[in-house]
Amino acid sequence: MNEKEKYIEDFNNGLHRLGRTLMVTTIILLIGVPFVFGMLSGVMPDAKGFLAGYLKVAVIYLPVSFVEFLVYAPMLGVGGSYIAFITGNVTNMKIPCAMNAQDIAGTKPGSAENEIVTTISTAVSAIVTTLVIVAGVIMLVPLQPVLQNEVLLPAFNNVVPALFGALGLKYFAKAPKIAFIPVLLMTLLCIFVPSMINQTSVLMIPCGALALAIGFILFKKDKL
Amino acid sequence: MGDYLSQVNATSFYVIVAAVLAFITIMCGYIVVKCYRAGIKMGMDPAALKKTITSSATFTLLPSISILLGVIALSGTLGVPLSWLRLSVIGSLQYELNVAEIAAQSIGLSGLRLEEMTIGSFVTIALVMTIGILGGLMFTLFFLKKYLNKIRKAPKKENSGKPGFGAHATTAMFIGLCGAYIGAYIGKAVPREGSDIMPLLVAIVAGIAMAVFEFLIQKKGKVALENFSLAASMLIAMAAAVGFGIIL
Repeated sequence: MNEKEKYIEDFNNGLHRLGRTLMVTTIILLIGVPFVFGMLSGVMPDAKGFLAGYLKVAVIYLPVSFVEFLVYAPMLGVGGSYIAFITGNVTNMKIPCAMNAQDIAGTKPGSAENEIVTTISTAVSAIVTTLVIVAGVIMLVPLQPVLQNEVLLPAFNNVVPALFGALGLKYFAKAPKIAFIPVLLMTLLCIFVPSMINQTSVLMIPCGALALAIGFILFKKDKL
Repeated sequence: MGDYLSQVNATSFYVIVAAVLAFITIMCGYIVVKCYRAGIKMGMDPAALKKTITSSATFTLLPSISILLGVIALSGTLGVPLSWLRLSVIGSLQYELNVAEIAAQSIGLSGLRLEEMTIGSFVTIALVMTIGILGGLMFTLFFLKKYLNKIRKAPKKENSGKPGFGAHATTAMFIGLCGAYIGAYIGKAVPREGSDIMPLLVAIVAGIAMAVFEFLIQKKGKVALENFSLAASMLIAMAAAVGFGIIL
């Protein structure tokens, strides 16, 4: 191993140590926030409600997180992965930003230079996002009385339908062959069994499994 | 309701969130400096490194504004401080909203509805949102070093040309997620006791807005709109909900 390779290996090991320290500290801080909010308000999170909610969330999001980790970590390298998975918006921001920086710098994938450029790019992206949101939040504070006006109540009460209307169009249009049967079945179920309407958090699990199964069959038959 | 909102928008909550974000941002700054110095030591051109910094900053500016729109959308029910934290660290708008809705239903609410929220439900929802998204961090924390070393040592495979099922699997998962909600909104709109057409109308407006954005992006080449299409479609639909609220 020559001197440069030794330096790069030490540098990467240092990044792993720093990244892990940052990650553990961030996890502790983030989990602490709801408890500190609760302590200040004189209530604590409800353990039963938390477990029921978490299990449903984990069934959906743990596999998604695993796939994201497998796909994006090689693109982001050591430092980029730690920062991107902590600061989020990986697909929509960190990956395109890092790829853009690599293109501009003309670094080769897998090289030490590429690692440096990707890490700097991801960290700068995280800093800029935080600063933009801070500026926005400062502007948002004086608008609170307007945002809390009763007339705007339907807007905030329907933020979830707004999300799934927009996302639904995007994904149904992307793969109509996968979407048709699950959407039809869920619609019929909710029309004929009205008690299911308020059980979307449960329904999304079989609906997701059905969509996955249909997607897999179509993929195997080369029909996607 | 006003009481709940003033509780979740308390100054102390802002201070806590600001402290957490300040720590993460300072650490990111430290990593930039460390990598910059390492790059110079490896013989990289300082001009190229500075260009990396400026190009990444400008590249991020516009998409960051779309995240800010997400903070506004989420703040109506969860307050500004939690929305600010959740969308600044790890999360994304679609994850946060979906998980908040799941958590709300799990603690016995009909959904993420302002009039049903209490400070007790708020802290439970906040905890589900926080722990629910830690999967990616845990995989990175425990497996990143081994995984990247394995990839570096693995012989390069010939590309068969056909992409794997992975990309389709994510699409299918999201279709399942959206299908359950859209089915519920249609079921809820059927005229009978307790029916409510508002969620379906709002979802339709959001879908139409998204279709317009997709048309502009795919057919008219307005790629820059991609970062805004989701947040903007949602805000248009939320604005329509105010109109529907007055009419209905």
